[in-house]
Amino acid sequence: MFDIRRISTSRWWHKKKSWILFSIFLFLIFVRITKGSIYKDFYYFISKPFWPGQSQKELMLKSLNQEYLIKSNLLLKDNIRLREILKLQESSKSDSILAAVISRKTGSWWRQIILNKGSKDGVEIGSIVMGPGGLLGRVKSTSFLTSSVILLTSPESKVGVWLDRIQINGLLIGSGDNYPNLVLYSKDAEVKVGDFVSSSPASTLLPPNIPIGIVQSIEKPFQTKKTAKISLLAKPHLIDWVQIFKLKI
Amino acid sequence: MNKFFKNKLSIIFFIFIPIIFLWHPNWLGILGVQPYWPLFWLLPWSMLNGSINGLIFGFFLGLILDSLTVDNSFTQIPGLLLCGIWFGKVKIHGDLLVGHFRYGLICSLGSFLCGTLYFMQILIKNFSDSTFLLFIPSLQNIFAEVFLTGFFAPFICSKLLRFFRFYREKSSIINF
Repeated sequence: MFDIRRISTSRWWHKKKSWILFSIFLFLIFVRITKGSIYKDFYYFISKPFWPGQSQKELMLKSLNQEYLIKSNLLLKDNIRLREILKLQESSKSDSILAAVISRKTGSWWRQIILNKGSKDGVEIGSIVMGPGGLLGRVKSTSFLTSSVILLTSPESKVGVWLDRIQINGLLIGSGDNYPNLVLYSKDAEVKVGDFVSSSPASTLLPPNIPIGIVQSIEKPFQTKKTAKISLLAKPHLIDWVQIFKLKI
Repeated sequence: MNKFFKNKLSIIFFIFIPIIFLWHPNWLGILGVQPYWPLFWLLPWSMLNGSINGLIFGFFLGLILDSLTVDNSFTQIPGLLLCGIWFGKVKIHGDLLVGHFRYGLICSLGSFLCGTLYFMQILIKNFSDSTFLLFIPSLQNIFAEVFLTGFFAPFICSKLLRFFRFYREKSSIINF
């Protein structure tokens, strides 16, 4: 009898440590499934005293005026060209949400920012995020109090872009540095350094004509593709305040 | 309360890894790249508790760090798993000075392993879209991370190892 009792108590499920370990595992699986929302909300509270001040807000509004001027010119051109074409995405300025950057990872592999506005404030997955100058990225996940934005420089980011001067669509792919790659699926595209890049009117992810960047350098054509490095107008490593725009399909 | 904090010091440090990972202090980095923070905790933990504990907590670290990044296609788990197993086999060196520099070398190699495995995932996923040359910046990321991790490891790992050894409660170790 004594032996049976001794054997049965030595089973792993009778050990408290095994259950503690299993509970930690379940908790971490929960954290993984919720995309770390508990952690992000916790970070929201502890980082609150260190949030950026209001001065950048004024700087941002100044830059926004310049951006609107460029954008209105582009829209005028676009309206003429696309009179007959259906717009795939539309964004509404009335739906914009101003948010502060509370975590910034703009180097290494992970290129993302975390904002202090989440699902509580109406931020939705897929919303676009703009800083002074132009597009920064898209909202990839939200928690109750925060939202995570994948930057255009992230290796996982791919968006359709438009080169206005040569009237051609391309694909902007993040490469893990500050200069994403523009891929043009035409070897003969006459792209030049300094060409302006905006979001593509044919994109299903972004509204048309959002300023993105300027061609910085051009690589040699490879097979049927031509690639170029793009210098982004909005600098994610400097921006403290951003605007979130909801997409209207 | 004080006793609780002393006993659970390693777990408290574990909880702070994701916070530092999110904080991403730019003034500590080079070219916007940070040291690979989870290795600083994983090395002393695995050295004291063995490969199995290293593997388990490497997996836990990978899970929690993956959940904080928005890249769904790539994972940090394989690198941290391998590092956890490897670090568990490393013995504490008697010579204090050699031991300190050894932490730097081990963490550098661990960071190189994790970085390379992450880079391979990016490369495999994007191979059809772009040429190999498009990912040259990734090599820069790996080497900057390796350098920084190796630079900070002797300071941080030796301190953490001393803390963990001093405050470790034998009953809290998971034995297999």
